[in-house]
Amino acid sequence: MSGIEIDSAAVPEAAPKQGRQLGPLQRFMLSNEFGLIVLIVVFAVVFWTVSPMFLSKFSLYALGRTSAVNIMIGFSMMVVIVTGGLNLAVGAIGVCAAMACGWLMQAAGMNWVFATLGGLAVGGLLGAVNGVVIVRSGLHSFVITLATMSIMFGMMIFLTQAESYREISPVFTGFGRMKLWGVVPPMLLMTIVVGVLLWVLFTFGSLGRQILAAGANPAAAELSGINVGNMVIWCHALSGMLAGIAGFMLVSRTGAAIPSMAGQLGQDWLLPAFLAPVLGGTLLTGGRVSVLGTLLGGFLVTMLTGGLLLMQVGAFWIQTYLGLLLLLAVLLDLARRSYLARNKLV
Amino acid sequence: MKRELWNQDWFGPFAVTVLAIVIVGALKPSFLSPFNIQILLLAISVNALVAFSQMVIIAIGQMNLSVGAIGGLAAISFAGMMEVWGLPWPVAAVLSLGIGLLAGLTNGLLCAYTGISAFVITLATLSVFKGFNLGITEAQPFYDVPEMVKWLGNATVLGPIPWLVLPFAVSAVALWYLLFRLPLGRSVLAVGGNTHAAELSGISVPRIVVFAHSVSGLLAAMAGIMLVARLQLGQPSIGDDWLILSFAAPIIGGAVLTGGRVSVGGTCCGVAIVAIITQVLVLFNIDPFLVQVVLGGLILWAVGVNRIREVRGQRKAAAAGI
Amino acid sequence: MIDIKKIATAGAVVAGLTMAANTAMADSSTRVALVPGGPHPYFAAWEQAGKDAAKDFGLGSADYKVPQKWELSLQNQMLESLVTQGYNAFLVFPGDPVGTVAIADELAATGAPVMALAGCLKDPSQAVFCMGTDTGNSAYLGTKELLKVLPKGAKIAHFTGFLVDPNTQLRIDAVEKAAKEGGAEVIQVIADIDAPEPAEEKINAYLAAHAGEVDGLITTAWVPAVVASNALRKIGDKRIKMVGIDHDEVVLGAIKDGFVHGTMLQNPYGQGYLGSYAADRLRSGCTVKKDAPFKSIALTDKFIDSGTVFAGADAVDNYVGSMQKITKDIFADFEGKYLNCG
Repeated sequence: MSGIEIDSAAVPEAAPKQGRQLGPLQRFMLSNEFGLIVLIVVFAVVFWTVSPMFLSKFSLYALGRTSAVNIMIGFSMMVVIVTGGLNLAVGAIGVCAAMACGWLMQAAGMNWVFATLGGLAVGGLLGAVNGVVIVRSGLHSFVITLATMSIMFGMMIFLTQAESYREISPVFTGFGRMKLWGVVPPMLLMTIVVGVLLWVLFTFGSLGRQILAAGANPAAAELSGINVGNMVIWCHALSGMLAGIAGFMLVSRTGAAIPSMAGQLGQDWLLPAFLAPVLGGTLLTGGRVSVLGTLLGGFLVTMLTGGLLLMQVGAFWIQTYLGLLLLLAVLLDLARRSYLARNKLV
Repeated sequence: MKRELWNQDWFGPFAVTVLAIVIVGALKPSFLSPFNIQILLLAISVNALVAFSQMVIIAIGQMNLSVGAIGGLAAISFAGMMEVWGLPWPVAAVLSLGIGLLAGLTNGLLCAYTGISAFVITLATLSVFKGFNLGITEAQPFYDVPEMVKWLGNATVLGPIPWLVLPFAVSAVALWYLLFRLPLGRSVLAVGGNTHAAELSGISVPRIVVFAHSVSGLLAAMAGIMLVARLQLGQPSIGDDWLILSFAAPIIGGAVLTGGRVSVGGTCCGVAIVAIITQVLVLFNIDPFLVQVVLGGLILWAVGVNRIREVRGQRKAAAAGI
Repeated sequence: MIDIKKIATAGAVVAGLTMAANTAMADSSTRVALVPGGPHPYFAAWEQAGKDAAKDFGLGSADYKVPQKWELSLQNQMLESLVTQGYNAFLVFPGDPVGTVAIADELAATGAPVMALAGCLKDPSQAVFCMGTDTGNSAYLGTKELLKVLPKGAKIAHFTGFLVDPNTQLRIDAVEKAAKEGGAEVIQVIADIDAPEPAEEKINAYLAAHAGEVDGLITTAWVPAVVASNALRKIGDKRIKMVGIDHDEVVLGAIKDGFVHGTMLQNPYGQGYLGSYAADRLRSGCTVKKDAPFKSIALTDKFIDSGTVFAGADAVDNYVGSMQKITKDIFADFEGKYLNCG
C-alpha cells in the first residue's frame, strides 16, 4: 500500500550483501522520523527566510499550542489504527468527554481533578463501547464508529441542548494560557509526556506488544494465545481517553466546554487525526506504530498551515498551497530515501 | 461457479432496503407517493455516483479522500464556464467531466509512480482542488445556470422517474460490466485483492491504479454536475459533505475496505438505505436534537440486520460442511 | 510598472493625509483584519467595505482574511497568525459565541481593539462591542412578518442551520415565541441543513410529504433559504408563504416572482465599513463611553444593531440603497453616541 514501507523493508535485504549490519545511526537516517525532522527544519528555515516573524516568541508559542492538540488527536487515532481498524468517532468522543468534564465542573460543582477524571472515564467508556460493539458484531470498525459518532454526538447535543459550560476551573483556563520560559506552552509538554507514555507502552509493555501482534496478524496472534478481541477493546478505550485529553486541552484553550469545538459530529478532527499518524509512518493496515512519527507528523502539518497563513498568500488560495506543500513534503521525503538508498547503502 | 441468490454480496443490503421501504410505506403512505419517489430517486442518483466514485478506489484497496473536492471543482467549473464564458451547457459539461478526469488522473499518477500511500496523496490533492474551487469562486456561488440545465435537474422522463436517473443508471450498468465482465475490471479487483499476486500474473499495477483513479474522478465530476442541475446554482460548498457518505454506502453494500471486493448493486442499496433513513428523519418529525442519534441507530440497524443474515448463512454452511 | 506603483502609493498617501486632516487624528498605522468564520457568500461585502473604509479614513489597511474552512481551530490559528503579521485591530465573526471569547481576549491583551462583527460573543468578553444582527430577534421579526400573511392558527415549518451553533437554538426559540404570540403552530423544525446536499434532500422530502399540511416556511440560514426558494418555485405553489434570510440572488429572484414572501436582510457592508472606522478611532485614543446606548440582546449587553430589515417584493430592488442609508445613519452619530474622543 505504501512505498515508504517497501523501501524500509528493502533495507535489511540490502545490508547483508555488503556483509555488515546497519548501524543505529544509518537506520535512523533512513527512518520516517528522521525524514520528518529534516522536513520540519527545511520548512522552518524557508518560512523564517520569507517572514522572520515566523520564529517570534508569539508565533512559536501559538504553533506549539495548536500542534499540541493536533498531535493528541493524532495519538487518539493512532492507537486504533494499530489494530488495523479506525475510529471515526474520535471527535465525537472528545467533545463528549470535554462536555462531561464541563458539566461536572459547572453543574455538579466538582473539583477540577475529579471533573477531569470523570471526563476521562466518559471518554474511555465511550471508546470501550465502540470496541465491544465492533468485537461482538464482527463488523468493520468503520461502519460501527460511523454510527456511534452520530449517536454519541447526538446524545451530547440532546443532553446539553447545545449550551456551553463556561464555569471552568481557573486551573484549566490558566493552563491554556500559561507560557513556560516565555515560549513553551505546557500543553505541548503534556502531549510529549503522553507520547513518551505511549512509546513505553508499545516498546516495553507486554500489553503493547500483544496489541501490535494482534494488529499485524489477528489470526496468528489468536493462535499464540492473545485475546485479539480484548486488545481491540483496550485500544478503543485508550483512543477514547486520548480523545478526551485532546478535548480537555481545547477546553483549557477556549476557557469553556463548547459543543462546536470539533465541528458538526466532530468531523473537524478527522483530518488531523489521520494525517499525523499516516505521515508518521503508522500503517493503516495495522501492526506498526511510530509514536515519535505521529508527533512529528502532527507538528509538520500544523507548521505548514501556520507558515502559509503567515506568508500572506492570496486569501482564498491558501488551501491550494497547503496541498501543494504537503505533496512537496512527501515527495522530498521520498527523494531523500531513494538518494540514501542508492548512494550509501546499496 | 454460480452463487446462490441469497449469498450474493448485494442480497443482504437489498433485503434491508425492501424491508425499510415496506415498513416506512406502511407507517406513512405518503412515502410512496409519486412525488416522494421522485425526490428519493433524485437523491439516490446523485449520491450513488458519489459512492461509485469511492467504490472504484476501494476496489483497488485504496482510499480517495478528494472525491468531494473533485466533485465540487467540477460543479463550479460547469456553472462558471456557462456563466462567465457563456459556453453552451453540453460543452461545459464535457469540459467539467474532463477536469474531473484530469484531477483523477493526477491522483492516479501520483499514487502509482511515487508509491506514497493514496491516503496522503488524495488528502493533499483534496486541499489543492478545494483551494482551486475557493480561489475561483471566492466562496460566491455561480447563479447563471441555463434553463435547460435547470429543467434537466427537475423534469421527469416517465412517471416519477427523473432525468437525472439516466446518468446514474448508465454508469451503474457500465461499472458492473467493466468490473465483472471485462478483463480490465478483473485486473482492478485482482490488484485490490492481492497486489503482489496481481503483479506476478503480469498485470501492470500502476496502470490499473491510474485507471481506477481516473474513473473515480470522472464519476465524482458527474455527481458534481448533476448537483448543479438539481440545486440550480453552482455552490462552492458542493462536495464538502461527501466523504463519509462515499465510504458508508459501499461498505453498507458489502465492500471490503482492504480491496478486491465490491458490489455495484450492494452500493446502490447502501445509497438507497442512507437516503431512506434521511427521509424517515424528516417524515416522522424527529426532534432535531435527536436526529443524529436516530440516524446512527438506524445505520446500526441496517448493517446489523445484514450481519445477522451473514452469520446465519455461515453457520448453516459450516453445519452443512460437517 | 514600478512607476505606476509608486504614483499609486503616493496618491494613496496624499489621499490618506487629506482624509486624516478631515477626520482629525486618524492613525494610519491601523491595520484592521476582517475575519469571518469561514468561506461564505454573506461576508463577501466585507472585502469592499474594508477597502472603502481604509481609503475614506486613511487606515494603514483593512484586509479581509478568510479562514479556509468553518473550523474554530483554523480561525484561531489564523487570528494568531494575523497578530504575528502585525495587524492591530480585529473585526471577527465569532466561530462560536463562547468558543471564540478566549482568543478574542488574547487578541485584546495585545492591545488591539477587538469587535465581534455580524454575530456576537457571549458576555463577558474583552470585545469592545458587538455590531451585527441580533440573530434571535431577526428570526422573531421574520416570523412575525410571515404570520401577517397567514391565517390564524397557521402551521409553519422552520428550516435552520447547525445545532452546534448556539445561535441556532436562539433562532428556534425565537420562531417558537413569535408563533405562539401570533396564534400559529411550528409543526416541524429541521436543523443541521446549512449545506447544499442535506438541505436539498431534506427540504424536498419535507415538501413532498407535507406540502398539503403546511402554510408557511421560515428559514433562518443561508443555504436552506436558497434551497427552499427553489423548491417552492419548482412546485409552483404560491399558497405556501415563506420568509427567507439574507440576500442570495435566488431568494431575491423568488421574492420578485412571488414565490417567496420576503427575506430578512442584514447589513454586512455596513458592519465592515463602520467596524473598520470604529477600530481606527479606538486606536487613535478614543474610548468607548461608559454610558453608550448599547442594546441588550441574549448574548451581550454591548450590542449595536447594524440593521436588520424585512424586504418584501416592493423593497427587494433597492435593498442596497436602504442598507446604505442605515449605514449612513449609524455613521452620522456614531462617534457622538458611542465614543469618547478626548
